[in-house]
Amino acid sequence: MFRRATRKTLALATAAVTVVGLTSACGGSSGSSGGTVNLTYMIWQTSEEAAYQQSIDVFEKAHPNIHVTIDLVSWAQYWAKLQTSAAGRNMPDVFWDHLEYLPELAKEGIITNIADDVKSSKLDLTQYSPKLLAEWENGSTIYGLPKDWDTIATIYNAKDLTTAGMTPAQLGSLSWNLTDGGSFVAALQKLTVDQNGKHPNQAGFDAGHIKQYGIALEAPNGQQDWWDFGVENGCELQDRAYGAWTVSSAACVQAMQFEQDLMYKWHVEAPGTITNTPNAAALPQILAQNTAAITFDGDWDLDTYQSSLPAGSWGVAALPTGPKGSGTVFNGLTDAIYSGTKHPAEAWQLEEWLGSAASEKIVTDSGTVWAAIPSLDSGFITAWKAKGIDVSAFYQGSQGATIGYPLTTSGTAFTNVVLKDMNQVWLNQMAPQAAANDITSVSNAAVANGD
Amino acid sequence: MSANIAEAATSAPVATGSRARSRRTRTAFEAYLLLAPSLFGFLAFLVAPVVIVFVLSLFSWNLITSPQFVGLANYRRMFTDSQSWHALLNTAYYVLLNIPLQTVLALLLALALNRKMRGSKFFRVIFVLPWMAMPVALGVIWNWFFDPRSGIIDHFISMLGFTGPNWLTSTTWAMPVIASVNVWQYTGYTMLFLLAGLQAIPQQVYEAAAIDGTNALQRFFRITLPLLRPSMFFVLVTNIIGSFQQFDTVYVMTQGGPGQSTTTMNYYIYQQAFQLFHAGYAATLSILLFAVILLVTIVQFRYFRKRTIYDFS
Amino acid sequence: MATKRIGRRVNGTTVYLLLAVGGLVSIAPYLMTLNAAFKPQSTLLSTQAWTPAVPATWSNFTQLWQQYDMSGFIVHTTIVAGVITIGQLVFTTMAAYAFARLDFPGREPLFWAFIAMMMVPQIVTLIPLFLIMSHLQLIDTYRALILPYVFGTPYGIFLVRQYFQTIPADLEAAARIDGAGTWAILRRIMLPLSKPILATLATITFVNTWNSLLWPLMATSSERDEVVTVGVAALQGQFASELHILLPAAAVALLPLVAIFLLFQRHIVRSIALTGLK
Repeated sequence: MFRRATRKTLALATAAVTVVGLTSACGGSSGSSGGTVNLTYMIWQTSEEAAYQQSIDVFEKAHPNIHVTIDLVSWAQYWAKLQTSAAGRNMPDVFWDHLEYLPELAKEGIITNIADDVKSSKLDLTQYSPKLLAEWENGSTIYGLPKDWDTIATIYNAKDLTTAGMTPAQLGSLSWNLTDGGSFVAALQKLTVDQNGKHPNQAGFDAGHIKQYGIALEAPNGQQDWWDFGVENGCELQDRAYGAWTVSSAACVQAMQFEQDLMYKWHVEAPGTITNTPNAAALPQILAQNTAAITFDGDWDLDTYQSSLPAGSWGVAALPTGPKGSGTVFNGLTDAIYSGTKHPAEAWQLEEWLGSAASEKIVTDSGTVWAAIPSLDSGFITAWKAKGIDVSAFYQGSQGATIGYPLTTSGTAFTNVVLKDMNQVWLNQMAPQAAANDITSVSNAAVANGD
Repeated sequence: MSANIAEAATSAPVATGSRARSRRTRTAFEAYLLLAPSLFGFLAFLVAPVVIVFVLSLFSWNLITSPQFVGLANYRRMFTDSQSWHALLNTAYYVLLNIPLQTVLALLLALALNRKMRGSKFFRVIFVLPWMAMPVALGVIWNWFFDPRSGIIDHFISMLGFTGPNWLTSTTWAMPVIASVNVWQYTGYTMLFLLAGLQAIPQQVYEAAAIDGTNALQRFFRITLPLLRPSMFFVLVTNIIGSFQQFDTVYVMTQGGPGQSTTTMNYYIYQQAFQLFHAGYAATLSILLFAVILLVTIVQFRYFRKRTIYDFS
Repeated sequence: MATKRIGRRVNGTTVYLLLAVGGLVSIAPYLMTLNAAFKPQSTLLSTQAWTPAVPATWSNFTQLWQQYDMSGFIVHTTIVAGVITIGQLVFTTMAAYAFARLDFPGREPLFWAFIAMMMVPQIVTLIPLFLIMSHLQLIDTYRALILPYVFGTPYGIFLVRQYFQTIPADLEAAARIDGAGTWAILRRIMLPLSKPILATLATITFVNTWNSLLWPLMATSSERDEVVTVGVAALQGQFASELHILLPAAAVALLPLVAIFLLFQRHIVRSIALTGLK
């Protein structure tokens, strides 16, 4: 009796465990199956997926033994997921890398140094923009082949511009200063309208009921807002590559103050309640709904403007010029290879393809993103000209004074504290100087702690 | 307390000493066999992690490179880290926003349903529906409801002639909005427990009180509430423990912002562990949260013990 | 007399009104989400949430399915929640019976150890579980999702044990004298009498697993095992303001549980209240 009961108990327990085992087995796994090597390629930009899929289709045709799966993860979750999978040792084989995070990933030893592969494949590195390449090299180490570049420019709602009696050319030749705001603030005053149709520089303007703001800016870390004012005001985010943060310097604080003034002194910029990330409406929507007439944004978002606004109802212009001349944030991405990939050879083949002129041409000619190979840049302009948009302002920006992403191992610490503090600055709940001091001290402490 | 059948069976008249002993051994063996899977899960996935968390709190580790022993540095850091206190206060605020409201509403609904009436079963089903909703999906839906341009909430407010704030980008309103998800989700569920408690109160007690000439309000405070204590205790303990662990809606709706206004302890720990990769520090913070929950629960036990006998055995 | 009756009727009307408002608030988010899911993108924002989706369109769902492997998410979640629920039912019953009815050395301290661990917040075990699973190379597999919860929880064991103790002991004694063993007793006497509590356990386990985000967020990283919660959270990150994709996804995530609930509602409503009673 007892034996039978025991046996049944055991049988049931085994059955249950087997169920667990079976279900897990049918999950399948990455790696190679039947001679085909499966690679995962992780990216974050929805609008770029189609172009990269096109490029990968070509790659797969040439390499029938390799299958590539694109894993699309939104920017907000991308880095947490990447690090978690690094800790869980199941990282994607190849993934987009960003300078904000490169130093940390490199320190953790999870990115492959491709210098030897470059040498053995006799790859011509001079084809890439030297400015881009330099950021991804460290001594004899190369962390990835540059895949694109981006800058920030002004994007406008054409109807709002016409209503205010302005031309795109006028919009592209404005300047700002710290004393009276300059022609930039004057233009924004024209573009800002309260519910009675009054502008901020008119008597009886009701700042509490603004119907349309001149400008709306949105950036989790500053790339599309105060960094650009900063570069035009002589602000340096750090003293040297891998050095100390200098956000609390006068030039940087003035840039933040200028933007806070646009909101609360001049009443021409949408306040933080409308633009604070992550809960604000996306910039293309803000423009589409006439919440604001213009914005600053990166070229990677052009597709979203095209789908959110009717064709011909929006356009691109140069950023306004600042006290120290014109400038913009210049940045570029690479594809990184996971140092623990089970298929280093195939991963390199994919990397080499994605960094090749042939692949970058596919992506650039579709108007997805500027190529890291300068000779291909005209393809991007042509693609957008066909859609009725002149995007040359981005290109001009890249040729002028630029500021890059700071190189530091405290990137995540900075990103975290800057979002938290600047949210409050844009709500007028924190002074720019106080925020800058906090951001600087927290980020520098992270450098010192080595974390 | 519990009748022991196995022993009762073994003490059959013929049993000699050694046979009884062997049966007892057999019973024990059987018991362990029955317990084995649960015990394994318990040790491997609950006890071991708790031990690991304490060990981890003594290290500095980014989960990738090798960990470094730092002694009590994480604990010292916790006491000086203004953000951790902010997160703790946010969590307490969240608990205070939703527990009283949801308990009072639940009690009102339970009182309304605690009578012989048509449709009471129907209403019970309707009120429990929110309980099973996925918080992640609710986050998406609430984002829509509270959207300043197309949201239904602002539409109602404007019908009354007011303008609503930008709920989720406001440091004042973001947390109440998140708490409202929880109130919606758990009011009906809480009501079920309170209703069961109400129905367990013998009718004779009320009849006796009615003879004494008490009015409805007096009956509620002198009879209903005191006799509802066991249910109230259960509801509060479980709901408060749950509320202290808010994560899902914050993750989907605000990611802790704007500023740090909706960063709850759970979200802060997640951030430290999986965004900033301070695994050791995150472990330390989770011990703090554990301690706080334990403390709050003990206080509730003490309070309810005064008049309630509630034993676990 | 007459005034009293009127008073009672007014009272009754107020109560019904209160209940009706409460009921409406309880179901409105479901209905409005479902309704919105069938509105074309162009009218979703321009019409009120309660305006019926006429004409209804499937285009949002088509678009959602093109973007995301929603069927995959549902299948994965069903597998994980199903296996965990079955496992918990079996293992919890076994453990609860041992605690309730069998005498063995160490029973009391062991039971109290289980009770004591009920208070441990999930976040405490999160990082260690992640470490254990990555050490076993199980991250991004079904096993990582299932193993930590399939063997039962202290709460479940406590719940079922309490219930077992209310079952009269004489029934078992009689069966023992008739020569029934532990297993036979468990199956023939305890199980049939414990259906309500087991239904409760199954409901709570299935609902909790279906809705849980935190652990799957850590334990999965690819489309081959990601569950609905992780999928919807990812969609929210990606299409933050595109409600015509987000709301259908929310509807798809919510509806399976509602369907199950409406099928078994009588059982479930009664059994949830059981967990609050001793």
